[in-house]
Amino acid sequence: MSDYLFYIFAALTVICGALVIINKNPINSAMFLVLSIASMAGLFVLLHAFFLAAVQVLVYAGAVMVLFLFVIMLLDLKEEQRRKINTFGAVTGVASVAAIGYVFYQSIRNTPLPNAVAHSEGDTVVLGKLLFTDYVLPFEILSILLLVAMVGVILLSKKDLK
Amino acid sequence: MSGISYSEILKLVAPEMLVSLAALAVLAIDLLVMREAPQRYRFWTGAAFAGLGCGLAIAWLLAMNPPPHSMSAGLSLLQGTYADDVLVRLVKVALLVMTLFTLAISMESNFTDHIGEYLALILLATVGMMFLVSSENLLMVFISLELTSLSLYILTAFNKRNVESAEAALKYFLFGGMSAAFTLFGLSLVYGLAGSIQFSEIYSKLHAAKIDTLLLAAIVMTVIGFGFKIAAVPFHLWAPDAYQGAPTPSAAFIASGSKVASFFIFAKLMMQAFAGAEGNGAWRHFTPGWLPVVATVAACSMLLGNLAAIVQGNVKRLLAYSAIAHAGYALLGLLSNSQQGMSSLIYYIVTYGLTVLGAFGVVAIVEERTGDASISSFAGLGRRQPLLGLCMMVFMLSLAGIPPLAGFFGKFYLFTAAIGAGKDMGMLWLVIFAIAMSAVSLYYYLQVLKQIYVVPAVEDSRPIVVPVSSRIILSLLALVVVVLGCAPELLLGRLITAIKLASHQ
Repeated sequence: MSDYLFYIFAALTVICGALVIINKNPINSAMFLVLSIASMAGLFVLLHAFFLAAVQVLVYAGAVMVLFLFVIMLLDLKEEQRRKINTFGAVTGVASVAAIGYVFYQSIRNTPLPNAVAHSEGDTVVLGKLLFTDYVLPFEILSILLLVAMVGVILLSKKDLK
Repeated sequence: MSGISYSEILKLVAPEMLVSLAALAVLAIDLLVMREAPQRYRFWTGAAFAGLGCGLAIAWLLAMNPPPHSMSAGLSLLQGTYADDVLVRLVKVALLVMTLFTLAISMESNFTDHIGEYLALILLATVGMMFLVSSENLLMVFISLELTSLSLYILTAFNKRNVESAEAALKYFLFGGMSAAFTLFGLSLVYGLAGSIQFSEIYSKLHAAKIDTLLLAAIVMTVIGFGFKIAAVPFHLWAPDAYQGAPTPSAAFIASGSKVASFFIFAKLMMQAFAGAEGNGAWRHFTPGWLPVVATVAACSMLLGNLAAIVQGNVKRLLAYSAIAHAGYALLGLLSNSQQGMSSLIYYIVTYGLTVLGAFGVVAIVEERTGDASISSFAGLGRRQPLLGLCMMVFMLSLAGIPPLAGFFGKFYLFTAAIGAGKDMGMLWLVIFAIAMSAVSLYYYLQVLKQIYVVPAVEDSRPIVVPVSSRIILSLLALVVVVLGCAPELLLGRLITAIKLASHQ
């Protein structure tokens, strides 16, 4: 059962991801991004990472996407709708994706995969403990990374008067 | 938790903490106190605080040597997210020195009003590099790599009066995002195969097993990601635009500090985690593994970097292509896959970083005075500003690898290490190729020198006024290049001892 669910969610993620790029209307693209993210949350649920799935839906599909839509509305992207698909780019892009896909298909088929590590239930207590013991440094570095992002965004989007 | 308290962690990461605190202090001081002060004072005050932070961190790293927990061997803590040994400390000191020089050569520039942010971002990028250097864990590698890259993207876009700067940053960002995706894909495949993200555990899981195709795919993906960071062909496309469009001090920082950190962690990952999956890179005896992949990348970089540099009319672009070529040479150290290879790689990339910092420092001054960085604007520099011309000559000749400068000895040691590696001198083909390509490279470095010393200045041949601080800094860099070339043991001796100690863990 969970195998079928995996394939359904995985296919949904990929198809919606492709539709984000193909779609000419930015709002539709954003909506497909929501779908793609939501199906990824489904994949997390199948891996028993319930907290991660919940966060994925709350933060990405919820908060971040609302901001995306705001920005799209504010920017008034009419130009983007008349965009023509670049044939050369599309053909070479699809070809290289197909090639990479083929390489992975073959290599995964020919490789005896190790058994999946027995996963614990991804509950918040375990996660929190890990984040504040073994992985405290990556966790703290991420806060520096967010600071850098914040400084950068303000700096780049602010209008210089000179 | 592996029996270590927060205060001990704080003590361990003190150098990184000091630099981060300096970054916050610079931001706050510039915003609160110096807002109304003239630009020059703001830059001086900010750079002084930033330099103080870096200086304290260097002092800490050198004074607390050897690492406190054990006399000789290093330690790897918190699932390998923080490793500390003599070698790591040496590389960190080198990074901090490069940051100091970057701060110094940006002090006289006036491309931005946002001085606090600029200095703080340089420091935070340094923090990312320092964490990168001391990580032995895939997660940590990825996160600190992202911290570094993100800061560098913003530093590239810093000149808001110039559209090229924004364009360069956008290209850098898009390529960077793509390569981060590849890295993450590769690293997650490694995790899937080894069941761990710690270098030592990956090694113990993978070295005995047969090299299977999925591992090869993972290795190629990882090489793609790091190949982007070190600007090796065919992942180099961002480099010429980023170097040209970015403000010159930012370009200097991208070319020096970030190269050192990325090369070090790339070598560490390949030599430690993938130690069982080398394959063979000898001519006509290729067997799958990471050696042939890296060998191909190295050969392409040397070929394309050197040939494309010949036709460049802009010195910053020329330095970008020369950086690509130098990435190719430096990969020879990785290909030796030995302790000697590691020490030659670090020596080479550190001296290269210092040289290129100096070269960009000269370019920054010339660009400021004449308006652009095309080769022709260097015409007559030898007469207009003899000291600057002399420094540029030292840097260019060192990049070309002329004795007795540091670049010569770096290349010499690198090539010796590569020839001695493996059985039957398997890397000889690549070394011969590299030597031939260095001969080619002499041509374009001499083109710049020809402009400086032979071609007379066209319209105005008045002497260029250069501030005293810039003169001191550039002369100091030139002096370092000469001294490290004449007495390489100063750095190399320390490196070799450090690597020996680190490998006895």
